[in-house]
Amino acid sequence: MIEVTQETKSDWCVVAISGRADAEAADQLESSLRAAIDTHAKVAANLADVDYISSAGLRAIIQAARAAQAKHATFVVCSLTPSVKKVFDMSGMHHIMRIQGGLPC
Amino acid sequence: MNAPPSLWHNQAILIETEIVLQGRLGELPVLVAGVAGFCRQHSLPDDVEFDLNLVLEELFTNSIGHGGCAGMEDAVHVRLRLLDTAVAVEYADRGLPFSPLTAPVPNLEASLDERALGGLGVHLIRKIMRDIEYCRDGDWNRTTMRRSL
Repeated sequence: MIEVTQETKSDWCVVAISGRADAEAADQLESSLRAAIDTHAKVAANLADVDYISSAGLRAIIQAARAAQAKHATFVVCSLTPSVKKVFDMSGMHHIMRIQGGLPC
Repeated sequence: MNAPPSLWHNQAILIETEIVLQGRLGELPVLVAGVAGFCRQHSLPDDVEFDLNLVLEELFTNSIGHGGCAGMEDAVHVRLRLLDTAVAVEYADRGLPFSPLTAPVPNLEASLDERALGGLGVHLIRKIMRDIEYCRDGDWNRTTMRRSL
C-alpha cells in the first residue's frame, strides 16, 4: 500500500510516494504519476519514503517515464533509500531515466 | 529406543516457517507477514527480509499473472528454513510448468522505448538468490534457492 501527495514547487510538480511499491500498489503508483505528467511539464517522483519496491513498482515507473517522453515532459526520480536504490541498480533503471539523490527544486 | 529430547523437537519446529497462499493478489500481505515473522524470530537483518519479500513477491505474482494460479485455493506453499550461512527458500505452486531458471530476462541496456516490461522479476530473483533449482513435481512447480547471510 502506498500514499501519494502532490505539490508544486517553483515550476516542478513533486509527487511524494510513501509505503510499499508492490504489485498491489502498482496501478495506483502508475496512475498518480501519469496524472501529474498529464498536467505538468516537469515532474519529480520523490521516493524518499518508499521502503520497498518490486518489479511491479518498477514497471509503473517505467510506464510513467514513457508517458513523459511521449509528451516531451521532464521526469526525474529522486531520493531513493539504499534498499530501493539497490533494486533500481540491479534493474538498470539508470539507463532509461534520470535518477538523482535529492529533489531538483 | 527413547524418543529424542523434546528440546530438539521444538528447535526443529522453530527453524522452519511455512506460508500457504490462495491464488489472489490480496494474499500478498499474508506473505509479507510470514516473512516478517520468520525474520524477527531469527533476528535477521532488514536487507535479508527485503530480499526474501522481493523474490517471493516476484514468484507469487508470476504464479497469479501467468501461471494459471488466479482463483486457485491452496495455490502456493512457501517454506523458509534457517541454515548456518543462508536462508533456504522453497517456493511451490500448482500452476503451469514454469522455471525461473530458463524464463527470458529483459535486455537491461535497451532504451526506454525498447525495454521489455516482462522478465524483470525473474532477473531480480537470479541476481539475489544462489543455488536456484527447479523441478516439476506432479502438479507442482518446485523452486528451491538460498539467500546468503
